[in-house]
Amino acid sequence: MSEPVLVILMPPGGDGLSNAAAEALGAGSRLAGLSDASLVCAVIGQDIAAATTEAAERGVDRVLAADEERFARPGGDLAVAAAAAAVEQSGARNVLLLGNADALELGPRLAARLDGASLMGVIDFSGSGDDLEVTAAVFGGAAHAAYRLSGPGPRVLGLAPAVAEAPEREAGRTADIEALTVPAVESRVTVEQAPSADEGPRLEDARVVVSGGRGLKDGDNYDRIRELAEALGGMPGASRAIVDDGWAPAPEQVGLTGKIVTPDLYIAAGISGASQHMAGCSNSRVIVAINTDPDAPIFNYAHYGIVDDCLEVLPELTRLGLELRAGR
Amino acid sequence: MHIVICAKQVLDPEGVNGYALWGRLGVDESGRSFDTGGSTIPHIINAYDEQATEAALRIRDDAGEGNEGDVRITAIASGDPAAADVLKRCVAMGADSSVLVVDPEVAVADGFRTAKLLAAAIGELGDVDLVLCGRQGSDYDQGAVPAVLAELLGSPLVTLASDVRIDGNGDGAAVRVTRALPEGEELVSAPLPAVVSVSNELGQARYPSSRGMMAARRNPPAERAAADLLEGDDARVELMRLIVPDVQGHCEVIDGDSPEAKAQALMALLQGQGMFDE
Ligand SMILES: Cc1cc2nc3c(=O)[nH]c(=O)nc-3n(C[C@H](O)[C@H](O)[C@H](O)COP(=O)(O)OP(=O)(O)OC[C@H]3O[C@@H](n4cnc5c(N)ncnc54)[C@H](O)[C@@H]3O)c2cc1C
Ligand SMILES: Nc1ncnc2c1ncn2[C@@H]1O[C@H](COP(=O)(O)O)[C@@H](O)[C@H]1O
Repeated sequence: MSEPVLVILMPPGGDGLSNAAAEALGAGSRLAGLSDASLVCAVIGQDIAAATTEAAERGVDRVLAADEERFARPGGDLAVAAAAAAVEQSGARNVLLLGNADALELGPRLAARLDGASLMGVIDFSGSGDDLEVTAAVFGGAAHAAYRLSGPGPRVLGLAPAVAEAPEREAGRTADIEALTVPAVESRVTVEQAPSADEGPRLEDARVVVSGGRGLKDGDNYDRIRELAEALGGMPGASRAIVDDGWAPAPEQVGLTGKIVTPDLYIAAGISGASQHMAGCSNSRVIVAINTDPDAPIFNYAHYGIVDDCLEVLPELTRLGLELRAGR
Repeated sequence: MHIVICAKQVLDPEGVNGYALWGRLGVDESGRSFDTGGSTIPHIINAYDEQATEAALRIRDDAGEGNEGDVRITAIASGDPAAADVLKRCVAMGADSSVLVVDPEVAVADGFRTAKLLAAAIGELGDVDLVLCGRQGSDYDQGAVPAVLAELLGSPLVTLASDVRIDGNGDGAAVRVTRALPEGEELVSAPLPAVVSVSNELGQARYPSSRGMMAARRNPPAERAAADLLEGDDARVELMRLIVPDVQGHCEVIDGDSPEAKAQALMALLQGQGMFDE
């Protein structure tokens, strides 16, 4: 048996694991399988009993649990200290993180602190031991690259979304649970104003997303996107180009550096289909593209395409959507 | 106040994208570089680093007329000699001077090696208060360098900045940063010296003036050799091979005589698939 594989989770309190967290356990179990290693999971948060139980039921051999008020939303210095403690207590060489905004900071800092290496946006791995090869997307997904990571410290891998399936849950399965000890840390970064707690629906959970791009021609026409999204019971999204132009708010951006969405229906209106945009929506079940240019790259990804002016197509779709709703 | 900007030279991501989408992106014999059939994709300054430069210049603008001299801006890059171009761009925009760490063994994908070189070069400058980076290289999309730099320099790290301001001066000076997070804006502060990475929400970077471009020509980067800053190659992240995935087109084009007819045909099709069933 080689050193264990460690999956580090920092779940919000109260609930079980998110889909992404459960999928990370699937990735961890595959990575552990490559080198006949055991799977350890660190659960760091406040009020994490449900998450801990679920990790055990999803096949983890050993759980390191840090259940403290200070971990309610661990970020920055505290997250690095907690993660470093977990790596040391577990003795792991390969460490997996969920690829969210926090991990982009945590991954390389953790690796640097423990004299290892990190890679974010990981979509695959093969081989084992020193020959472990890790694949990640580059240039916003236009290509992939295989890497080898070395150094005396751990290899920290941040997972891209949806790279593995969650292991089946086996009710009543238990694991060794031990307390994770994290030293006191003083955070050097002070949060003066947290993002206004928006309890509304999240773009990431929407079943229908209607997104607009520069093809809308004018900022005011983003209303056509909002109207169709509303008519279909979905949420509006945007390309970065129109967020940069101030036509749509930043939290509505879809893509590599925006939200990653996986709705049943993704409608892209006046969006060219750059790989950085598609990185945020290509896992949607059905993609519809509306674009005046029949050669637009978006048609390489779309299941259905309308080659026409989105400013004329969108209002008609909205009308039909509203009709459908009224008829129910 | 001494601000350092870290600027990376990258293969133009739009160029890579374009070749990929038209099916003309290949991988050469080394397996580690793209092959575009003879034509070349240009190297440019990482756009986020242009915005990091803009952030530094705004801090200097904020100091007010007559006080510009209080804010010194140095741009640093590590790379092959051609990376001098990105530094010229920073100086043309308004940076005071620049340093090029010439790394002939340049391992573009190894942010850990890069951060060690940059940390050593920053250490030599001595009195640095604020290091500004881009949120990620638009080539390998990692964002490793600012994080590793912060660890090596022992400085606090703030990522994803859309606004960067300096508060107070002397020992009590702090950086106040608005962060563009997926869930909205967050306002944080950290004591100096600090490392901050800048995101595109900062807004458009200014264009160099013709006077700035002349100044940049007269003010080339000081050069440092990587071998003098870091012993051995100390590789951490090695790029083994590039892979160009197949993007399979399978699009069914919806026909119709008018935009309305096409919309109707699409809705009927989606409805037929049960897309809008409760
Ligand atoms: C590091 C990096 C990260 C990035 N992250 C993201 C990201 O997270 N999200 C993102 O979206 N982008 C991102 N980008 C930018 C991305 O590369 C593209 O530049 C951007 O997605 C283009 O936006 P667009 O499709 O709206 O505009 P354009 O590329 O200008 O496309 C407009 C499209 O509209 C069509 N059109 C014009 N008129 C009409 C009409 N009347 N009706 C219908 N169609 C019409 C045109 O044919 C064209 O295809 C990133 C880039 C980099 C380098
Ligand atoms: N070779 C380099 N020279 C100078 N700065 C760099 C270099 N590589 C990365 N950086 C900085 O680190 C940021 C993130 O890059 P990366 O870690 O490569 O994704 C960039 O936006 C730059 O500010």
